[in-house]
Amino acid sequence: MSTGQDRTGAGQERRSASRPLIAALKVTEISRWRTINAIFWGALAQGSAVGLAAVAAWLIARAAGMPSPADLALAATIVRFFGIGRGLFRYVERLFSHDTALGGVARLRERVYDALAASGADRVLALRRGDILARLGTDVDAIGDAWVRAVYPLGVALLISTATASISLVLVPAAGIVLAVCLAVAIVAPAALTWRSARLAARLGSAADARVSTASLSAIESAPEHRVWGTWGTAMAELRAADSDAEAAREAAARPASLAVAVQALAAGVALIGSLVIAVTTSGIPPTTAAIVALLPLAAFESAATVPTAIMQVFRSREAALRIEEITGADLASEPSWPASSPAEATPAVPRLEARGLHVGWPGGPSIGPIDLDLPPGGSLAVVGRSGIGKTTLLLTLAGALPPVAGRALIDGRDATAADVGRLVAVTAEDAHLFGTSVVENLRVADGALTDEGALEALREVGAATWVNGLPEALDTPIGDGGGTVSGGERRRLLLARALVHPAPVQLLDEPAEHLDDAGVETLVQTLGAAAGQHRSIVVVTHDLALTRHVDRVLDMDSLEQTEPDTAAPTDE
Amino acid sequence: MKPLDPRLLREVAPARRYIIVTAGLGALLAVLITLQALVIGRALAPVLAPAPLDDDGLHWWGFLVPQTAREIGTAAAWLVAIVAARVGVTWLQERLAHRAGSQVISQLREKVVDHTAALGPRWVASGAGADVTTTVTRGLDALLPYFVRYLPQLMLAVTVTPALVLVVLGLDWISVIIVVVTIPLIPIFMILIGLVTRERSARHLEAMQRLSRRTLDLIAGIPTLKALGREHGPGRRVRELGEAQRKATMGSLRVAFLSGMVLELLTTLSVAIIAVTLGFRLVDGLVSIETALAVLVLAPEVYLPLRNVGTHFHASADGIAAADAAFDVLETPAPVIGAEQGVEAGSLAGATITAAGLAVATPDGTRDAPGDATLTALPGRLTALVGPNGEGKTTTLLALMGLLPVDRGEISATAADSALILLSEVDGESWTANFAYVPQRPDLGPEGRTLSLGQRHLTAMEAAFAAADRPVLVLDEPTAHLDGRSRTALIARLRAAAQQGRTVIVATHEPELVDAADAVVEIRAGVRS
Repeated sequence: MSTGQDRTGAGQERRSASRPLIAALKVTEISRWRTINAIFWGALAQGSAVGLAAVAAWLIARAAGMPSPADLALAATIVRFFGIGRGLFRYVERLFSHDTALGGVARLRERVYDALAASGADRVLALRRGDILARLGTDVDAIGDAWVRAVYPLGVALLISTATASISLVLVPAAGIVLAVCLAVAIVAPAALTWRSARLAARLGSAADARVSTASLSAIESAPEHRVWGTWGTAMAELRAADSDAEAAREAAARPASLAVAVQALAAGVALIGSLVIAVTTSGIPPTTAAIVALLPLAAFESAATVPTAIMQVFRSREAALRIEEITGADLASEPSWPASSPAEATPAVPRLEARGLHVGWPGGPSIGPIDLDLPPGGSLAVVGRSGIGKTTLLLTLAGALPPVAGRALIDGRDATAADVGRLVAVTAEDAHLFGTSVVENLRVADGALTDEGALEALREVGAATWVNGLPEALDTPIGDGGGTVSGGERRRLLLARALVHPAPVQLLDEPAEHLDDAGVETLVQTLGAAAGQHRSIVVVTHDLALTRHVDRVLDMDSLEQTEPDTAAPTDE
Repeated sequence: MKPLDPRLLREVAPARRYIIVTAGLGALLAVLITLQALVIGRALAPVLAPAPLDDDGLHWWGFLVPQTAREIGTAAAWLVAIVAARVGVTWLQERLAHRAGSQVISQLREKVVDHTAALGPRWVASGAGADVTTTVTRGLDALLPYFVRYLPQLMLAVTVTPALVLVVLGLDWISVIIVVVTIPLIPIFMILIGLVTRERSARHLEAMQRLSRRTLDLIAGIPTLKALGREHGPGRRVRELGEAQRKATMGSLRVAFLSGMVLELLTTLSVAIIAVTLGFRLVDGLVSIETALAVLVLAPEVYLPLRNVGTHFHASADGIAAADAAFDVLETPAPVIGAEQGVEAGSLAGATITAAGLAVATPDGTRDAPGDATLTALPGRLTALVGPNGEGKTTTLLALMGLLPVDRGEISATAADSALILLSEVDGESWTANFAYVPQRPDLGPEGRTLSLGQRHLTAMEAAFAAADRPVLVLDEPTAHLDGRSRTALIARLRAAAQQGRTVIVATHEPELVDAADAVVEIRAGVRS
């Protein structure tokens, strides 16, 4: 279940075709009927352009024979209809396709959210906030873009090209064949060249871009040092070298892209010359037919011109789909399987937490251990040590969110698993999220059945009641994103109140004293003292010495030694 | 919004060259399009004409394409040459666009990085400085589609469109009237639509942003929900928000796509009207077949660049925003430390460096850190700056070296011969050249980045000890990455350097180093006054 293995797996996957994209497109649940509809409207719009060219050619050819003006009336009306139709149909098509894609994006986002939420706690808790936002935000949007900017335009291009070539084929078969071949070239060759360009840009570009970023950022960061030593020129020379690397990468990607555009111009030109020559030299066809066949190529290539953009979008969306797949690690097509959550056992008994020869660490990173500890039901433990030593990692391992590197983390004698997270053992991370909703709803995140009275009680215990009552709408005041701002100390108290109302019998708190003033720490100490012992066990990670004096045991991660707290703590055994 | 930033042309040479070349290629393209239309008119006319053609149906434009092109073999030869030239121009244009965009990105990035260094560390740490990293890493990339997609079409709109209008004028002035009437209608309608729907768009935009924020809020909370075992459920809420967002977005798109529709409608409809009027005039013999065919082929080409400019509007908006961000940085005046045109500071060997009442505002402007620093660093002595993190030790060091403008206070040196040198009166660079500086995280270039921070630190310190021409040694947290033994050794070397007559100033938390110092100055932040 190591993340490292998953990454390699996904890397090999990259070689294969666009399967993740197709899977993601399926999850948007956009019906075939809607797709046909979107392509239909798009084809009407593009078809209007082709129709306008064809009927106008007929009109001019017919008029050249100087018939009575009445003979032109119908053609004139049709030309005007196509003139209006293109704009109108395009408007309908754009609205319809965007509406369809946005609906699909909403469904996909729910599915990715659920898949992520249902996947292992180790996976979710290891993700950076920025990654989660990017995957569920812009990457999911990119799948929607694949519909609007790739699938539909490609469908329209194929349909219209086939239809245009067919018209020509019916009128003068030889000209039809020329047009069909040229259209096929104008679609297939640019598609292949664009794909190659996108791959080159991704392969060469990302390494060059990384070097440019490093050079720029370190130049900016170290500017004072370079100014003192007079070495600014060296820093700039390095940036210039990185930049010319990046230019070379962009140049390599630009070559096939430029070729794609040139091939399209060439195909259109060849079709024009071929059709014109065949139309003029074929004997026995009426002038109107000759004019249509000769002039059709001028309008026929517009839909094919969308191919490079569409292929570029396929590439981007496919990358997005790969990233989404990587982050969820699950097959999106199947319904997420939720770990058995049983509201029936609302208050499970307080379990015993143990570590035996436990080594903890993130997959692929350094580990620390061995740690042996025993936290009996109702006990309390403080974990101290310098930053970066692995205190948070230990917390997550004890909770079952991270698998041990070696040794065992036990809950009531059995190995802790991800299913225990949030049920038997709840974790309040240092950067736990306050949702952009009311104060009370932020507490209900921990316990959906929490009453207003219960919320106020918990807030009183953590010393935040006065603050909350002073808010404009008390418990119902919006906070977090889009609401009023919350100071660091208030945030801590709210998170602590949330942990207090959470039903899990073991609470693991990461740095609950950060940003608290002395009075706040005093309240925290009392609250924890009252909470531990009765119906829960508590583990705190802290820098604050005051906290360590009021727990049963202190684990020093620097020395891996356990000590009794400095001053006598209230005993419970 | 300006479609083309004049600063881009003024400041960035490849951009200027590219615009000129693109304009030239645009003119060439206009000629090729014209020739192609005339040849098609010539070649097709004999097939359509009920009687053999006598007069030159192209009037005075006929000189461009001789009447021999009525013969299909000649016409085909002409077209082969024209198509070859068009393919060449298209390819060249695309290559030049990529290359120019790429060079402009590099040049602007280098300019921005260079100027950012001149703006100093305090500006970088401020809000405006935070965006610089985005600009130099990813932001400028938006200029590539701007150069490749948008600018060429813009140039075609100002070269091909007017040129073809002139050609059509020479062929058939009635068609030109239709063109001349419709082209100004495009911006007029777009502005009108913009005015009518402004309030509605703003409302929708606000709703979309609100919904998007709430969705991102739920998403950002996944780890928290997971840690509390409450992750089951909000997925449905995400979907509901997505649906609400779809409705809000569609409301705004219904309006936003209107201007695109007007553009397509006006351009296509006028092509249709030109075709229809040509047809009826052809029946009456008011226009020649060759002219009718040529104008029919030219009419869509007149509007094509305008339509493409509309299509690539987003590439334009993003590119302009990227250029704006870069020029905002470039146009921020760099602070002058010392005096402009000041005299050389000369060597500070044996000089006493003094700071009196130094105050520097923090980047967010809420406090002064340092708040009121006064210190005297004697030659031959080790002076230590102490105090908690964030109170201004590093800032004081930077100010002493003449790298930061101070908001209050004065920095000066008393030379061995008692002459007073004020930093504010001398050339800043010559003052700074007296210092050998080792920051907390030294940068030794690409090779240095493979070393650990501790090794980098040691290498940088060796360089500082060796720089005998720099009498003042300034070290920021020199013992941070060292174990006990190397710490003691380093402190001994610092003492030795002082004994050799150098002025040694350190910022430190290390008690052992503080004990070894000759003078200890506590740096504290102060309220902003």
